[in-house]
Amino acid sequence: MLAVAGVSGSLGRAALLIGLVGAVFGMFASVMGTRQHDEKVLRLVPRFATLCVIATVSAFVCMEYAMITRDFSLAYIQKVGSKSTPALYNFTAVWSALEGSILMWMLILAVCTVIIAWKYRNRLIDPLVGWAMATMFFVCTFFFMLTLGPANPFGKGAAGVLDGPGPNPLLQNHILVVFHPPILYVGYVGMTIPFAFAIGALITGRLGEGWLLETRRWALFSWGFLTFGIILGGWWSYEVLGWSGVWAWDPVENASFIPWLTGTAYIHSVLVQERRGMLRVWNLSLLIATFSLTILGTFLTRSGVLNSVHAFSDSDIGPYLLTFFGVIVLVSVGLIGWRGEKLRSPGTIDSPISREGAFLANNVLFGVFAFVVLLGTVFPLIVEALQNRQLIVGEPFFDQLATPIGITLLVLMCIAPVLPWRKASGELLRQRLFWPAWAGIAALVMSLGVGAVGLAPLLTFTLGGFAAGAALRQLALATRRQGLRGLVGRANGGMVVHIGVIIIAVALAASNSYTRSQEITLTVGKPAQYGGHSFEFVRFVEEKDDRRISVKAEIIIDGSGTYAPAIQKFINVGQNIGTPSVKSMFTKDIYLTLQPPVKVSTNTAKIKVFIKPLMMWLWIGGGLMGVGTLLAAFPGSRRKPTDPVSAPIAQEASA
Amino acid sequence: MMSTLNKKLKAWPVWMLMGLLVVALLAVGAGRQSGPLTQEDRIDNVTQRLACPTCDGESVYVSQAPSSQNIRNEVARQVASGQRTDDEIVAFIESSFGGQVLLVPRATGLDALIWVLPIAVLVCCTAGLALTFRRWKREQGGQASDADRALVAQLLELDTDPTDSL
Repeated sequence: MLAVAGVSGSLGRAALLIGLVGAVFGMFASVMGTRQHDEKVLRLVPRFATLCVIATVSAFVCMEYAMITRDFSLAYIQKVGSKSTPALYNFTAVWSALEGSILMWMLILAVCTVIIAWKYRNRLIDPLVGWAMATMFFVCTFFFMLTLGPANPFGKGAAGVLDGPGPNPLLQNHILVVFHPPILYVGYVGMTIPFAFAIGALITGRLGEGWLLETRRWALFSWGFLTFGIILGGWWSYEVLGWSGVWAWDPVENASFIPWLTGTAYIHSVLVQERRGMLRVWNLSLLIATFSLTILGTFLTRSGVLNSVHAFSDSDIGPYLLTFFGVIVLVSVGLIGWRGEKLRSPGTIDSPISREGAFLANNVLFGVFAFVVLLGTVFPLIVEALQNRQLIVGEPFFDQLATPIGITLLVLMCIAPVLPWRKASGELLRQRLFWPAWAGIAALVMSLGVGAVGLAPLLTFTLGGFAAGAALRQLALATRRQGLRGLVGRANGGMVVHIGVIIIAVALAASNSYTRSQEITLTVGKPAQYGGHSFEFVRFVEEKDDRRISVKAEIIIDGSGTYAPAIQKFINVGQNIGTPSVKSMFTKDIYLTLQPPVKVSTNTAKIKVFIKPLMMWLWIGGGLMGVGTLLAAFPGSRRKPTDPVSAPIAQEASA
Repeated sequence: MMSTLNKKLKAWPVWMLMGLLVVALLAVGAGRQSGPLTQEDRIDNVTQRLACPTCDGESVYVSQAPSSQNIRNEVARQVASGQRTDDEIVAFIESSFGGQVLLVPRATGLDALIWVLPIAVLVCCTAGLALTFRRWKREQGGQASDADRALVAQLLELDTDPTDSL
């Protein structure tokens, strides 16, 4: 038995070693082949990428095999494995701690590398692709080294261990553990691809139109996954953590949000480059910033310098990640200094009141937003280093700064969609924004009608109506011209994403500002009233298995439908986890949690009821963002790709 | 006829009126009272501003830890007694529990940087953008460089190629 167990660890480690060799050779082949224009050498590049991916898949399979067979000879299985974990959560336990997460990172990175290598295999002779491949292999090499050194998932564990605690209870409690981490990682790791192309462009000092489009599409792909992953994370938090919120400005959440912000800045300002050929160096810098921020975020959250509820383990990979981050930043800044002038375009932007101007204002806001989140995340470290005292920067700080930034972004979303390129006149704006502005006024009147109060939420609803009006106006014009094809393409798909964002902003403003809650002690047979709803306690249900003892309180809301908030005690870990139960409606959610202490023998239960308006619209808005991103990923029909970018496009019907 | 009406409708004066309408409506909405806060709502508001002492950056509101439960109970007692305002309860908790219980940095000393830096960055970025626009404005219709002339000459040469049908 032990001999077999040793095999899966050794095999996994051997696979990772082979992967490292493949990545190093791939890097050399890319560099040599590109420098000497040697097609024979370049033809090897996709093969090395294939070797990397086979190696990582094998290592991952070994890890899963060890997990499934409960191979407790491995330290990692001792840490996150348990005989009592159900099959599904045992499968996902592979990414429930640091070493396995880095292995999954490696897997996704290798898949990205092989896709790029094979997709562009006929264009490898182009030095830009050659250098991009070299960059991909360089990043692969680093991560293979991590998995072989400080984040080794196949390390031997202490002898004689026959069972483990299993993954953190929060990671064996909800189906989203299957989806949220991998999807978020695809977004995170996918940012390597546009970064590699950015480095390629800087080294060759050349930025062809075609590569710009490819880079944008890959960035959009990663951005879409990152967005989706973040929203799923919010949903998971809501379903599992029991405080009825989706976002706590926790360091790990921030680490995913900061690259999202810079990535969002990029997918906007790259349109200026596509259209006018400008801002080339700026856009490359945004891509590099986005990628390096994923590394910095991983450093901050995985090295133990910052702690959070999500950082499910500490380790000594900190110095490696920090060094890698430093190398990336130094090399990139050096390359920009060396090549920047060559890439810079001679054109100018005519007027700040233009679509270009709006995209630049967008970049300033997203840049400041990213800075604020990063500052709030690392500020405790700064204070500790300088004054050796503890400081906590929490939700209220981020909320206070994010609210004005978010409202300003909404203002921009009202105006920017209708702005023409180059230059706009006041009269044109008054014409085009007239009906969208009335949509804003209508939204304001409506929210006053249903009793909304408070300046910030009311401003959000007004601007939300206005911005939705502006986005719908663009979509209406596009579909009038082109029918359903008017929904496709970056600009129009982008408008669908905007509507999703607006819905999310409105839902967040409403649920953050108007959540009401009450603790109620319920007795069997005596329904209680709160917030216009009745709550009737039926009984406690106790369930017990090897893994946990769970107590559910069955509660009937408004005479129909049983909801069962629960408290589960995970036996191996000795930790109590509350599981909320939610009744979702279009106008509001009723969110129930069972409050400790629970005495099953009695017939009273203490519950906390949260009434949260418009929560469901958060997920609807998220879905719309996903649909819009897909629509934006397809080429639109506004311009034939063969036309020069300066060719006139069909005039918009004047509104 | 229609278009002049349209123009008049969407002219400055109408926009001014719309602006005034929005300001008036916002003033009404921002000024009026929401429904009475229950004790639980007040407890939520206060605990959202307090840090859980044992769990790294979570608020007492979010946290399920026993130490947070203690603070929550104390806040509940204070709210129930009705003696203190929210701010006073926060100050009371800070003095009686000690340690770092505030989630929002103060605006004094080194901590003030966290408030000043975002504003400084915003001002710098906006100023930088404004300067860039000014430079762009100056450069409009700017001079062609030698590289530009060489490129044009090269293309003109190509253009004289008799086989080029264009």
